[in-house]
Amino acid sequence: MIYREAGQFKSSYASDQAVFPIRQDRIVVGLAVAAAVIAVPLVADEYWLQAVLIPFLIYSLAALGLNLLTGYAGQVSLGTGGFMAVGAYSAFKITSAFPRLSVLVAFLLAGLVTALVGLVFGLPSLRIKGFYLAVATLAAQFFLLWLFNKVAWFTDYASSGTITAPPRTVASVMVTGPAATAPVRYLTALAFVAVFAMIAKNLVRGRVGRSWMAIRDRDIAAEIIGVRPLRTKLLAFAISSFFCGVAGAEYVFLYLGSAETLAFDINVSFLVLFMVIIGGLGSILGSFLGAAFIVMVPIFLTNVPHLLGLAMPVALQKQIELMVFGGLIILFLIVEPHGLARLWQVSKEKLRLWPFPY
Amino acid sequence: MREPTSPPPVASSTPLLEVDEVSVRFGAIQALDRVSLDIVRGEIVAIIGPNGAGKTTLLNVISGFYHPTAGQIRFEGRDRTNLRPYDVAALGVARTFQNVALFKGMSVLDNIMTGRLLKMRGSFLLEALYWGPAMRQELAHRASVERIIDFLEIEAIRKAGAGTLPYGLQKRVELARALAAEPKLLLLDEPMAGMNVEEKEDMCRFILGVNDEFGTTIALIEHDMSVVMDISDRVVALDYGRKIADGRPDEVRADQGVIDAYLGVSHA
Amino acid sequence: MLELLYAVLVGPVKDMAGAPAFLAEVIIGGLAAGLMYSLVALGFVLIYKASGVFNFAQGVMVLFAALTLVGLMERGAPLALALLATMAVMGALAFAIERVVLRPLVNQEQIILFMATIGLNFFLEGFGELVWGSNVKRLDVGIPDSSFMVLGVQVNRLELTAAITAAVLVAVMAVFFQRTRIGRALRAVADDHEAALSIGIPLNTIWIVVWSAAGLVAIVAGIMWGAKSGVQFSLSLIALKALPVLILGGFTSVPGAIVGGLIIGVGEKIAEVYWGPLVGGAIENWFAYVLALAFLLVRPQGLFGERIIERV
Repeated sequence: MIYREAGQFKSSYASDQAVFPIRQDRIVVGLAVAAAVIAVPLVADEYWLQAVLIPFLIYSLAALGLNLLTGYAGQVSLGTGGFMAVGAYSAFKITSAFPRLSVLVAFLLAGLVTALVGLVFGLPSLRIKGFYLAVATLAAQFFLLWLFNKVAWFTDYASSGTITAPPRTVASVMVTGPAATAPVRYLTALAFVAVFAMIAKNLVRGRVGRSWMAIRDRDIAAEIIGVRPLRTKLLAFAISSFFCGVAGAEYVFLYLGSAETLAFDINVSFLVLFMVIIGGLGSILGSFLGAAFIVMVPIFLTNVPHLLGLAMPVALQKQIELMVFGGLIILFLIVEPHGLARLWQVSKEKLRLWPFPY
Repeated sequence: MREPTSPPPVASSTPLLEVDEVSVRFGAIQALDRVSLDIVRGEIVAIIGPNGAGKTTLLNVISGFYHPTAGQIRFEGRDRTNLRPYDVAALGVARTFQNVALFKGMSVLDNIMTGRLLKMRGSFLLEALYWGPAMRQELAHRASVERIIDFLEIEAIRKAGAGTLPYGLQKRVELARALAAEPKLLLLDEPMAGMNVEEKEDMCRFILGVNDEFGTTIALIEHDMSVVMDISDRVVALDYGRKIADGRPDEVRADQGVIDAYLGVSHA
Repeated sequence: MLELLYAVLVGPVKDMAGAPAFLAEVIIGGLAAGLMYSLVALGFVLIYKASGVFNFAQGVMVLFAALTLVGLMERGAPLALALLATMAVMGALAFAIERVVLRPLVNQEQIILFMATIGLNFFLEGFGELVWGSNVKRLDVGIPDSSFMVLGVQVNRLELTAAITAAVLVAVMAVFFQRTRIGRALRAVADDHEAALSIGIPLNTIWIVVWSAAGLVAIVAGIMWGAKSGVQFSLSLIALKALPVLILGGFTSVPGAIVGGLIIGVGEKIAEVYWGPLVGGAIENWFAYVLALAFLLVRPQGLFGERIIERV
């Protein structure tokens, strides 16, 4: 009853094409945003921010990037970890070479570098399709990580082989480095992912998104209609890599503090792919839902046995985690290939009718 | 770089499309064998022939999906033989497909909007912000797509997922998508296949309407002879990759070669 | 600049020519490694050829087979009994996979099935570790890991046995697919699930047969790998290495899997030994993938694969 849209008529195409055409949605989203920006930093404790919310925001950004490439444009990629690494290492080099440059700009530049790298590795996509392309992206993943490992220039010749986020301020507030507080880092990550999500949403509901989906659904018919395949696919790789690059930079600068290539290995690629599948391929909301889910499972597994009074050794937890991830992937693909996002849509449909059954 | 978008006007006596001794070979199979035909502006041409005669291959060659192994194709007087499909589309050729190639992951409205992709000049940055000119352009295209939706009477399903529609409606949506490109030449591959009598009547009405109101030249592959007789100005018959007849509907229907082809008289 | 070109193009070739016996050993080492890849790739080909599914979990199945075998032997079972038990386990696994994963996903797109097998991969990894523990195990199948000399070149007994086993497996599989009725049915299933169903091919039985056969191949591969380098979890990463092999050889070709594996194995070793020192080593990490990528650009269907024809 509450969620009825009766009486809300659209008298222009503009209002019909709005992102949240239903008034109730707008209210809820408004409240959520207010909560995220104002309430959370005040209320949440260090653990929640550091272990849950900040990585959630960063992974959401990476999942968003991968979703654009794999969910909307249909190009399977197993190279997400490698692209995130490009973002992280570029941001490191840029901030160390230009100490006076704003760290926010450094992130964006790192994203640009990653976009260029993504373009290069996306070139094979014209001739190679489907999971052959996945193998090509594996080449990107392994090669890039090897490169960052071998060439000491990337770590500024650090003997430990790690890159460390230098302390930087924005408007005299410490944003990165050991002195940066969790709420500040949280808000920075939130700002980035909010802006990028908006951009992604605008892209997918317009010309660019439609060309991507056309290529994904029927690439030959798309070409005959006038879509230029190479251009469309390369754009997808570039934009997706941009997102993943910024996420990678954030991963080191706003979350880990310092990292080596291991932080970006093939498991990260799989993790982000799981987020996208479980959250929902081809859905902006899905990227967030999937990221939230994947971030929460280990937390859940750590804490629930504790609450129940059982002790679970770390190794066992890892094994169960793997089994849960794998099992859930299969479950979702069988039951709802469109992921949590579709489940969310379906429950909204039910909510429309509530309390009536149909 | 893009080709210049408007070529100098051609004399109106030049046919819109000239297929000149076109042959297409797949390995040992001669799919088209020295086929020549002209399509004049504003006419409706039906392409008929038994299965495997090469009708879809002919459309594919015109679309640029296949390139002929011999022969030439001219559009508005200019050689267009080896263009890629998206360049052919940019010239003003739109088509529908035998097996309904809708984008199943998108809504009906979005599917039809993809038909307008060639007309959208985007500033990528403005699109990312959905602001100003980008938004106005999107809304303008939406308005013209809505006109087509009205014309084809599919308002009720515009937000439905394209994959959920019954076959007849899918074909209509495909037609809408082709029309959205405002083509000069519309190629229809068996637009009435699998439809009942009512649906066929509707489709005939739409096709004739498109030809009347927008002046679009239409070439369609069709098996139903009554439809062919009703709506086409001219009929071309193919058999085993060769053109065996070309003329007014009643002439072609009476042609002995065509009758033999359909009845399956053995070829020496 | 000239020095760089010399170092990259001429130097390694001179090294190769200067010590032919060593080169031969490197090549043989590469062939042996490549054969290991081929054995895993064979499992992929089997499943792909017969059910159209690209089984990402093949590597983990190899691991699982090896783990089960070793686990049983550690608990005192003699080799023959352990082998039989492992085969039964792999058969049961195949049955379970068919029931739980494949049947509900019948006729979905390839990419969905592929991702389901990724999920399967992770599940079995966790499960295997849960059941058998995560430390490295030694696998002893009674073949000594020693070498003897042939024409001045060292040949390893274990590797030789692996080569012979692989050759036999390939021959059997080739005959099976080409000559028998079941083989034909399998090829039909790979082509189109629904069509095969509609002409009465018992899809479920076929899948169980195929995945069990892949399980058998996995056992063989697991034994060979395990005997050579111990049974440990990096084995599941072999799946990733098998991908370039399949790309080179084509996804549906049994001889292709062998040839592809050998090429990758030799290529990797030679690149690592002769060009590796120039760039600090560890080229093996990515060489296979880049090679496969280059190949895909030139010949998207691989050496022996079927030409992909697009229709509208």
